[in-house]
Amino acid sequence: GGEAGMKRTAPRATLRRIIRKHKPELRLAANADLLVRRGRGGAGAESVHLSFLLFLHRLAEEARTNAFEDKSKIIKPEHTIAAAKVIKHFEYL
Amino acid sequence: SLQPLRAKPIPKSLRASQRKPREPGVASSLIKKIFSHYAKIKVARDALKIVEKCTERYFKQLSNDLEAYSKHAGRKTVEMADMEVLLRRQGLVTDKMPMHVLIERNLPLEYRKLLIPIAESGNKVIPRK
Repeated sequence: GGEAGMKRTAPRATLRRIIRKHKPELRLAANADLLVRRGRGGAGAESVHLSFLLFLHRLAEEARTNAFEDKSKIIKPEHTIAAAKVIKHFEYL
Repeated sequence: SLQPLRAKPIPKSLRASQRKPREPGVASSLIKKIFSHYAKIKVARDALKIVEKCTERYFKQLSNDLEAYSKHAGRKTVEMADMEVLLRRQGLVTDKMPMHVLIERNLPLEYRKLLIPIAESGNKVIPRK
Protein backbone atom coordinates (compact mmCIF):
# COMPACT_ATOMS: atom_id res chain seq x y z
CA GLY A 1 0.00 0.00 0.00
CA GLY A 2 0.89 3.64 -0.20
CA GLU A 3 2.63 3.24 -3.50
CA ALA A 4 0.36 5.61 -5.36
CA GLY A 5 2.20 7.94 -7.65
CA MET A 6 4.95 5.59 -8.65
CA LYS A 7 4.51 3.70 -11.84
CA ARG A 8 5.68 0.21 -11.19
CA THR A 9 5.59 -1.25 -14.65
CA ALA A 10 8.38 -3.74 -15.02
CA PRO A 11 10.89 -3.37 -17.85
CA ARG A 12 10.21 -7.00 -18.65
CA ALA A 13 12.26 -7.33 -21.83
CA THR A 14 15.21 -5.69 -20.08
CA LEU A 15 15.00 -8.03 -17.11
CA ARG A 16 15.00 -11.02 -19.44
CA ARG A 17 17.96 -9.59 -21.33
CA ILE A 18 19.93 -9.06 -18.12
CA ILE A 19 19.41 -12.65 -17.02
CA ARG A 20 20.23 -13.91 -20.51
CA LYS A 21 23.48 -11.95 -20.38
CA HIS A 22 24.53 -13.68 -17.16
CA LYS A 23 22.99 -17.08 -17.85
CA PRO A 24 22.33 -17.67 -21.55
CA GLU A 25 20.95 -21.17 -20.93
CA LEU A 26 18.49 -20.21 -18.24
CA ARG A 27 14.84 -19.70 -19.20
CA LEU A 28 12.21 -17.61 -17.56
CA ALA A 29 8.70 -18.79 -18.25
CA ALA A 30 6.58 -16.62 -20.50
CA ASN A 31 3.29 -15.16 -19.39
CA ALA A 32 1.23 -17.52 -21.51
CA ASP A 33 3.03 -20.41 -19.94
CA LEU A 34 2.48 -18.87 -16.58
CA LEU A 35 -1.28 -18.82 -17.07
CA VAL A 36 -1.60 -22.28 -18.52
CA ARG A 37 0.52 -24.12 -16.01
CA ARG A 38 -1.02 -22.71 -12.89
CA GLY A 39 -0.30 -25.81 -10.92
CA ARG A 40 3.45 -25.64 -11.23
CA GLY A 41 3.83 -22.06 -12.18
CA GLY A 42 6.67 -20.55 -14.13
CA ALA A 43 8.39 -17.48 -12.80
CA GLY A 44 8.22 -14.69 -15.33
CA ALA A 45 10.04 -11.40 -15.46
CA GLU A 46 7.38 -9.95 -13.13
CA SER A 47 8.67 -11.95 -10.23
CA VAL A 48 12.22 -10.89 -11.04
CA HIS A 49 10.91 -7.34 -10.99
CA LEU A 50 9.33 -7.98 -7.61
CA SER A 51 12.60 -9.12 -6.08
CA PHE A 52 14.37 -6.16 -7.66
CA LEU A 53 11.83 -3.71 -6.19
CA LEU A 54 12.23 -5.27 -2.78
CA PHE A 55 15.99 -5.09 -3.08
CA LEU A 56 15.87 -1.36 -3.86
CA HIS A 57 13.33 -0.89 -1.08
CA ARG A 58 15.65 -2.44 1.46
CA LEU A 59 18.70 -0.58 0.17
CA ALA A 60 16.84 2.74 0.24
CA GLU A 61 15.49 2.25 3.77
CA GLU A 62 18.89 1.27 5.05
CA ALA A 63 20.55 4.24 3.32
CA ARG A 64 17.95 6.64 4.71
CA THR A 65 18.52 5.33 8.23
CA ASN A 66 22.24 5.97 7.75
CA ALA A 67 21.56 9.50 6.53
CA PHE A 68 19.36 10.20 9.58
CA GLU A 69 22.00 8.88 11.94
CA ASP A 70 24.47 11.14 10.18
CA LYS A 71 22.04 14.08 10.63
CA SER A 72 22.04 14.48 6.87
CA LYS A 73 18.93 15.52 4.94
CA ILE A 74 20.22 13.91 1.80
CA ILE A 75 21.40 10.40 1.02
CA LYS A 76 25.09 10.53 0.19
CA PRO A 77 27.27 7.87 -1.43
CA GLU A 78 28.72 6.77 1.92
CA HIS A 79 25.22 6.13 3.28
CA THR A 80 24.46 3.94 0.31
CA ILE A 81 27.75 2.05 0.57
CA ALA A 82 27.18 1.38 4.25
CA ALA A 83 23.65 0.21 3.43
CA ALA A 84 24.98 -2.14 0.77
CA LYS A 85 27.40 -3.61 3.31
CA VAL A 86 24.63 -4.21 5.82
CA ILE A 87 22.59 -6.25 3.39
CA LYS A 88 25.70 -8.16 2.39
CA HIS A 89 24.54 -11.20 4.31
CA PHE A 90 21.97 -11.75 1.59
CA GLU A 91 25.01 -12.40 -0.60
CA TYR A 92 23.89 -9.80 -3.01
CA LEU A 93 26.82 -7.43 -2.76
CA SER B 1 34.83 -2.57 -3.99
CA LEU B 2 32.33 0.22 -3.50
CA GLN B 3 33.87 3.65 -3.15
CA PRO B 4 32.24 7.05 -3.32
CA LEU B 5 32.56 8.41 -6.80
CA ARG B 6 34.46 11.63 -6.87
CA ALA B 7 34.37 12.14 -10.61
CA LYS B 8 34.16 15.66 -11.96
CA PRO B 9 30.67 16.50 -13.11
CA ILE B 10 30.41 16.13 -16.85
CA PRO B 11 28.90 19.15 -18.59
CA LYS B 12 25.39 18.39 -19.80
CA SER B 13 26.30 19.06 -23.41
CA LEU B 14 28.92 16.30 -23.37
CA ARG B 15 27.00 13.64 -21.54
CA ALA B 16 24.94 12.32 -24.42
CA SER B 17 27.90 11.90 -26.75
CA GLN B 18 29.84 9.87 -24.19
CA ARG B 19 27.19 7.20 -24.01
CA LYS B 20 28.65 3.77 -24.74
CA PRO B 21 26.82 1.01 -26.61
CA ARG B 22 24.56 -0.24 -23.87
CA GLU B 23 24.99 -3.45 -21.92
CA PRO B 24 21.59 -4.80 -20.94
CA GLY B 25 20.66 -3.09 -17.71
CA VAL B 26 17.78 -1.40 -16.00
CA ALA B 27 17.57 2.23 -17.11
CA SER B 28 19.25 4.67 -14.72
CA SER B 29 16.14 6.79 -14.78
CA LEU B 30 14.02 3.89 -13.54
CA ILE B 31 16.51 2.97 -10.81
CA LYS B 32 16.53 6.61 -9.73
CA LYS B 33 12.75 6.78 -9.70
CA ILE B 34 12.26 3.59 -7.68
CA PHE B 35 15.10 4.25 -5.23
CA SER B 36 14.06 7.86 -4.62
CA HIS B 37 10.49 6.75 -4.10
CA TYR B 38 11.51 4.34 -1.35
CA ALA B 39 14.15 6.66 0.11
CA LYS B 40 11.62 9.48 0.68
CA ILE B 41 14.45 12.01 1.07
CA LYS B 42 16.79 13.59 -1.47
CA VAL B 43 19.42 11.35 -2.97
CA ALA B 44 22.75 12.73 -4.18
CA ARG B 45 23.63 11.94 -7.77
CA ASP B 46 26.82 10.14 -6.70
CA ALA B 47 24.75 8.01 -4.35
CA LEU B 48 22.56 6.96 -7.28
CA LYS B 49 25.67 5.85 -9.15
CA ILE B 50 26.38 3.51 -6.24
CA VAL B 51 22.81 2.22 -6.39
CA GLU B 52 23.28 1.47 -10.09
CA LYS B 53 26.44 -0.47 -9.33
CA CYS B 54 24.64 -2.41 -6.60
CA THR B 55 21.83 -3.18 -9.04
CA GLU B 56 24.26 -4.71 -11.52
CA ARG B 57 25.72 -6.93 -8.83
CA TYR B 58 22.27 -7.79 -7.62
CA PHE B 59 21.21 -9.12 -11.00
CA LYS B 60 24.43 -11.05 -11.42
CA GLN B 61 23.91 -12.80 -8.11
CA LEU B 62 20.20 -13.28 -8.80
CA SER B 63 21.03 -15.04 -12.08
CA ASN B 64 23.54 -17.30 -10.35
CA ASP B 65 21.08 -18.22 -7.64
CA LEU B 66 18.14 -18.86 -9.95
CA GLU B 67 20.34 -21.08 -12.09
CA ALA B 68 21.52 -23.00 -9.05
CA TYR B 69 17.97 -23.57 -7.78
CA SER B 70 16.51 -24.65 -11.09
CA LYS B 71 19.52 -26.85 -11.88
CA HIS B 72 19.19 -28.45 -8.51
CA ALA B 73 15.61 -29.33 -9.39
CA GLY B 74 16.76 -30.68 -12.77
CA ARG B 75 15.16 -27.89 -14.81
CA LYS B 76 16.31 -25.30 -17.30
CA THR B 77 13.37 -23.03 -16.67
CA VAL B 78 13.02 -20.87 -13.59
CA GLU B 79 9.79 -21.60 -11.79
CA MET B 80 7.93 -19.71 -9.12
CA ALA B 81 9.22 -22.14 -6.53
CA ASP B 82 12.80 -21.05 -7.31
CA MET B 83 11.80 -17.45 -6.94
CA GLU B 84 10.18 -18.20 -3.62
CA VAL B 85 13.30 -19.97 -2.35
CA LEU B 86 15.29 -16.91 -3.37
CA LEU B 87 13.01 -14.45 -1.60
CA ARG B 88 12.96 -16.69 1.45
CA ARG B 89 16.73 -16.77 1.57
CA GLN B 90 16.77 -12.99 1.35
CA GLY B 91 14.47 -12.92 4.34
CA LEU B 92 11.68 -11.28 2.33
CA VAL B 93 9.29 -14.22 2.29
CA THR B 94 8.71 -15.57 5.78
CA ASP B 95 5.96 -17.48 7.52
CA LYS B 96 4.41 -14.15 8.46
CA MET B 97 5.00 -12.61 5.03
CA PRO B 98 3.92 -15.13 2.41
CA MET B 99 4.75 -14.68 -1.25
CA HIS B 100 1.28 -13.55 -2.32
CA VAL B 101 1.23 -10.77 0.28
CA LEU B 102 4.56 -9.50 -1.01
CA ILE B 103 3.16 -9.54 -4.52
CA GLU B 104 -0.05 -7.79 -3.49
CA ARG B 105 1.84 -5.03 -1.75
CA ASN B 106 4.47 -4.37 -4.34
CA LEU B 107 3.23 -5.07 -7.82
CA PRO B 108 0.65 -3.35 -9.99
CA LEU B 109 -2.68 -5.07 -10.48
CA GLU B 110 -2.02 -6.53 -13.93
CA TYR B 111 1.00 -8.44 -12.61
CA ARG B 112 -0.75 -9.46 -9.44
CA LYS B 113 -3.44 -11.12 -11.50
CA LEU B 114 -0.78 -13.16 -13.28
CA LEU B 115 1.20 -14.13 -10.23
CA ILE B 116 -1.14 -14.59 -7.33
CA PRO B 117 -2.90 -17.81 -8.35
CA ILE B 118 0.54 -19.34 -8.75
CA ALA B 119 2.02 -17.93 -5.59
CA GLU B 120 -0.93 -19.17 -3.59
CA SER B 121 -0.89 -22.63 -5.07
CA GLY B 122 2.54 -23.17 -3.55
CA ASN B 123 1.30 -22.41 -0.06
CA LYS B 124 -0.24 -24.97 2.20
CA VAL B 125 -2.49 -22.49 3.90
CA ILE B 126 -4.35 -20.00 1.79
CA PRO B 127 -5.92 -17.30 3.93
CA ARG B 128 -9.16 -16.27 2.26
CA LYS B 129 -10.82 -13.01 3.13
